[in-house]
Amino acid sequence: MDFELSAEQVAMRDVARNMLGERWHPDKMREAIDKPPATIPTDLWAELSQMGWLGVNCDEILGGGGQDILTAAILVEEAGRALLPSTFSTNLASAWAIENSANQAHRDGLLTELVLGNKRVTLAIEENHGSWGPDTIELNATGNDRDDTLHLSGTKLLVPDGSTADLFLVAARHDENLCLVAVDADAQGVTVNAMKRLDGADIVELELNDVAVPASALLQWGGDGESLLREVYSVFTVLIAADLLGSAEVTLQMTSDYAKERVQFGQPIGSFQAVSHRLADILVQVEIGRSLLYGACLALTEQREERHALVAAAKSWLNETAIDATEAGVQLHGGIGYSWELDVHLHLRRARSNAATLGDSDFHRDQIANYYCDRPG
Amino acid sequence: MDLLFSPADEQYRTRIRAWLSDNAGDLALIAKAEDPLQAARDWQRKMYEAGFVGLTWPKSCGGQEASLTQQVVLSEELAQARIPHLINGIALTTLGPTLIQHGTEQQRQRFLPGILSAKEIWCQGFSEPGAGSDLPSLTTRAVLDGDEFVVNGQKVWTSLAPIADWCFLLARTDPKAPKREGISYLLCDMKTPGVTVRPLRNAGGGFHFSEVFFEDVKIPRDNCVGEINGGWKIARSTLEHERSGLSGVVALEANLERQRQMAAKLKVGDKTALDKPGNRQKLAQYWIEIEGLRHLGYRALSDQLAGRPPGASASVGKLFSSRLRQKIAKTSLELAGPLAPVAKKSPHVIERGRLHAGYFDALGYSIGGGTSEIMHNTIAERILGLPRSTRDD
Repeated sequence: MDFELSAEQVAMRDVARNMLGERWHPDKMREAIDKPPATIPTDLWAELSQMGWLGVNCDEILGGGGQDILTAAILVEEAGRALLPSTFSTNLASAWAIENSANQAHRDGLLTELVLGNKRVTLAIEENHGSWGPDTIELNATGNDRDDTLHLSGTKLLVPDGSTADLFLVAARHDENLCLVAVDADAQGVTVNAMKRLDGADIVELELNDVAVPASALLQWGGDGESLLREVYSVFTVLIAADLLGSAEVTLQMTSDYAKERVQFGQPIGSFQAVSHRLADILVQVEIGRSLLYGACLALTEQREERHALVAAAKSWLNETAIDATEAGVQLHGGIGYSWELDVHLHLRRARSNAATLGDSDFHRDQIANYYCDRPG
Repeated sequence: MDLLFSPADEQYRTRIRAWLSDNAGDLALIAKAEDPLQAARDWQRKMYEAGFVGLTWPKSCGGQEASLTQQVVLSEELAQARIPHLINGIALTTLGPTLIQHGTEQQRQRFLPGILSAKEIWCQGFSEPGAGSDLPSLTTRAVLDGDEFVVNGQKVWTSLAPIADWCFLLARTDPKAPKREGISYLLCDMKTPGVTVRPLRNAGGGFHFSEVFFEDVKIPRDNCVGEINGGWKIARSTLEHERSGLSGVVALEANLERQRQMAAKLKVGDKTALDKPGNRQKLAQYWIEIEGLRHLGYRALSDQLAGRPPGASASVGKLFSSRLRQKIAKTSLELAGPLAPVAKKSPHVIERGRLHAGYFDALGYSIGGGTSEIMHNTIAERILGLPRSTRDD
């Protein structure tokens, strides 16, 4: 029984906090709201690779850091705190997908390129159907994989970090089963249309017009593409949950610090229970969220039966926690909280964006209801 | 990181399960017994003799010196098997550890065996009509007169008082000292002349609590635990002696499971209450919150095992779990729809009125053992480090 971070994980978290604090400035996200979307510059990307973070949860033999999903989540939490563009979490999820593909060539070639920072990869999953998740996917991959060629046609939406991606892992239907197919950004028939998120993050619309890829581009898990896709979806979801936790926690910290300093009516506003009790409620939400996140990460690593439900729980809970924490941040800072200069609205924008990414709270509660409510007995 | 109990702990779990299934018949008798008090005492003695009471206490005090994880395993298994709390549970979790830590050898030998075997039932005399959340402002007086304290005052919200043999109470021994420094921790025989118990009826209609009146009650000086005027610190240390809360998780899980099964049976038109999307969302939300509480409990347990101070984290669990218990109870009641208000013993009553009892019962959780308002203060001040709110203490 040991359900706290190891000394090594704590050390890595501290290094990440310092490094990202020095090398990335939240102003870049603020500027991106009025300008093109924010991306991670090449030199910082190279540094993240040198730190061993781009493949932190991949096998050491494949050039990764040999750590588990939780360690990846801890780093993403720091990225959330630092308002780093989402490219980092997107690539961690992509790395997980590639590493777990049955195709040795993917692991040897693609993964090395990703971990070294030479290739940026993203996941193109969601489409425009008003909901989320693998079950909504319609994009078709046709052709028999024995023919050695697959043809993909259709449109993906909200693809994270698409404008800097060299490779898209595209979720598609193939022979009635779901799968992931690796598509080069410069393949013929690929069109990338820029979009932007509320927080200035880079997302794109990906149009595939009869794109031909070799059958070897199929990512599978022991011959089963659908299981791999569902697993990847959960890994990606838990990483976004970690990002939300980062926003919630840093905003709670900023707001508590402010409540200790800001004096009105002759005393710090944090001594008023209308202020302190709201902050205490946020702390409870954050602690429950952190507990759910750790539980979900461990369940994924251990491949426990309830892992997808726990991931849904963490995402559903942290969606609301991050929104509540950042909205409270605006409110409890008073006038200054409503200003452009304060970083709180950047976290609010990020929280709102992430909460609507890979499933909102209702969506994930539905997943849990299907898991819990309908069991026999 | 792992959530595994050691093989020894799992063996212990197997042993508990086997013992419980061998002895479950006895437990069923308690519910039907003509003298339920005697039956409850017998059950605790039986558990004690099997080595399941006073688990983490030192052997010299009649305990088992078992590990913290074994304690968790035991409380999980007891909750899973829906074993009611031990009749002397309050003394086992608060007075016992207090005597072990602060009592004299004589006090330990005199009182610990009776606590463990339920030969002597204890009640707690802390709250007063004028001292609830602000417990240190209590005004029950104890005046030392030779070798005896003479006690006058009133306690309230006392559980078990009508059946208790003894009471551990806080009384003011120095009215001039600052309020936390003039309180003593005393042990009073309930048969002493001048002790009067008056049962109180609570909002839910039950008689769980009592008022206890002290009128010139004489308590031997030897029945003071720790120093005279040193009682507040002693009481506080056991108030904070919170458990990891994992057994509470099992109980909440059982509540939710009952709710799910009830919803599956309740007809709404040609469907069931479990088919309504709003209800499914609520059940899923409670599933999430129970998992959150469970994993929070694992983190607290890990901290305890690693020797890290739990700090104010128990307040987080208390605040969260009492709220969750209330939400589940409220939804259970609301699931009954138009029949929700039908009183027990009426025709068409749902679940024999259990939902009403559960609802009122849950309301008490955010008041007893520290109100949610106080939990908020503790979290704000001790975890977030916010300045104290203006108050007289």
